[in-house]
Amino acid sequence: MTSLRDVYELRRAQMLLGLATRLEAHLHTVFDGCERIDRISVRAKSVDRFVAKAEKEIDGKRKYDDPLTQIQDQLGARIVTYYKSDVERLTTEVMKYFRHIESVQIVPDSESEFGYEGRHFILFIPRDIFDDEVKEDESITFFELQIKTLFQHAWSEAEHDLGYKPSTVLSRNQKRQLAFTAAQAWGADQVFDELYRQIDSAGAQQGIAPL
Amino acid sequence: MELDSIHSFLIHPGKHLEEPPEISGTAVAKAGGLYDMLRRVFDRAEEECPHDVAFSADSEGKQHNECRNAILAYLKKTDLPHGRALAKSLQAVTTNRSGLGLLFLMKGTHKGETKIVVSRFPADSGIFAQEMEKELTVEFLERIFMKNAASYKAAVYSGKSYEHDFWKGKAGDKQINSAESYIASYWIKDFLHSDFLTPGEEGTRRFASAVREAMNHSTDTKTKEEITAFCQLLPGLTGKVASAKGILDRFHVSDGTQQQIKSRFRRASLFEEGFQFVPDELAKFLAFTTVELSNGGLLTAATSNFDKVFTKETVDSSKEIVRFSTQGSIVDQRFKKVKT
Repeated sequence: MTSLRDVYELRRAQMLLGLATRLEAHLHTVFDGCERIDRISVRAKSVDRFVAKAEKEIDGKRKYDDPLTQIQDQLGARIVTYYKSDVERLTTEVMKYFRHIESVQIVPDSESEFGYEGRHFILFIPRDIFDDEVKEDESITFFELQIKTLFQHAWSEAEHDLGYKPSTVLSRNQKRQLAFTAAQAWGADQVFDELYRQIDSAGAQQGIAPL
Repeated sequence: MELDSIHSFLIHPGKHLEEPPEISGTAVAKAGGLYDMLRRVFDRAEEECPHDVAFSADSEGKQHNECRNAILAYLKKTDLPHGRALAKSLQAVTTNRSGLGLLFLMKGTHKGETKIVVSRFPADSGIFAQEMEKELTVEFLERIFMKNAASYKAAVYSGKSYEHDFWKGKAGDKQINSAESYIASYWIKDFLHSDFLTPGEEGTRRFASAVREAMNHSTDTKTKEEITAFCQLLPGLTGKVASAKGILDRFHVSDGTQQQIKSRFRRASLFEEGFQFVPDELAKFLAFTTVELSNGGLLTAATSNFDKVFTKETVDSSKEIVRFSTQGSIVDQRFKKVKT
């Protein structure tokens, strides 16, 4: 019997890797000319991460009964930009060029917590990237797009690396240290955005082109 | 695909009414003339619904759509009460101007795939003529429901997984290009809580990119002139729903030029996909027109204004010699480096 791992591995090799390359090229075309984009990247979810997600349980029950269709980030795109204002600006652009079924700002649950932040979308894969070689009818429907500032991106990458090691159970102090770095990243974003707005606004008053 | 069940509901206008009229509904028998007609509607729904549409996220950006939920509830339990929930949604957005309508819900299944067609036939009036053996009787009828009327609307969705599928489908709305935008949005936006799968900006960007590519790669003067000419007229399409092919047909662009533009699309079906035209997006791609003359002259002006800035006269048609003229005060002069 073919396992979920085998099925996904085949899908990844035969469809997702090709789609990722095409989608990345498409995103570069759409956002060409947008200022302060540090990077645009698209990845096909790794087999291990897909299987781990598929096996997630809530209250002792599997979260996904059909993970191949229910997991919507098999194709994940990320745009990293400079300032928080840029995230808002790019969000508007995403809404213009892509149809979404989800658009949420992910923030910690309470105002006294610091942790993961980012703008997440679930978007229909644009029809432009399909052709006779990669057929729309045979493809997955959605991809996930994250827009983050440089600091949000840096924090989440390091936190994911440190916090999700299979053998790691973080101590209370280690969790507080991670929260502390999140607070610093949050603070840096606040200050940079404030500086950006002040300098941009002063430039506008003097008739200087925006940053 | 087998057509398993049909329910029908009479929809009176109910928008802004505190107590909208009760909705009468019935199951339609799977035999007879009405069934045969609806069977054809069901079978041909994908062809009759040319627009690819997708359900929208809710106002908080979550994966939640009232109309999709109502459709899924009806698919899971296909009966009059669940159909009536959809009918109530339609009634809640139906104005007096939209008028009385008959809603049909048609569901079919085949090999694990489920398909639903939702269609609305508007009410009209007409004359019923009955020929007896020696006499003709005529009667005025007020509630005739016309499938072929200009305001017939439909939508079709299909899929295997209720959880994952049924986010996108196809819709048909003969009034979609109506100047009265509230009528055009009645079916797709207000009732279906949906929008075009390809946003207007993306459709226009794709079209403008193909036009620019065709213009810049063509070596044929006539093709370039034809492209320049119809581009001047494009801003008049603001807000209209059309496909690239529809736009080019509308301006009687020759087959040859159409082929050159079509070849710049990644695949032919995109050339025929409808989208809402957004002129600002077009301007980004076709902002300036530059004409290069055989004597080394270069003329550049905003595309929308080029023919007003430069007057063109034919000097010798056999040699395609032309003279451009313009006048104004000099506001700037620049050097440009050679492209490497």
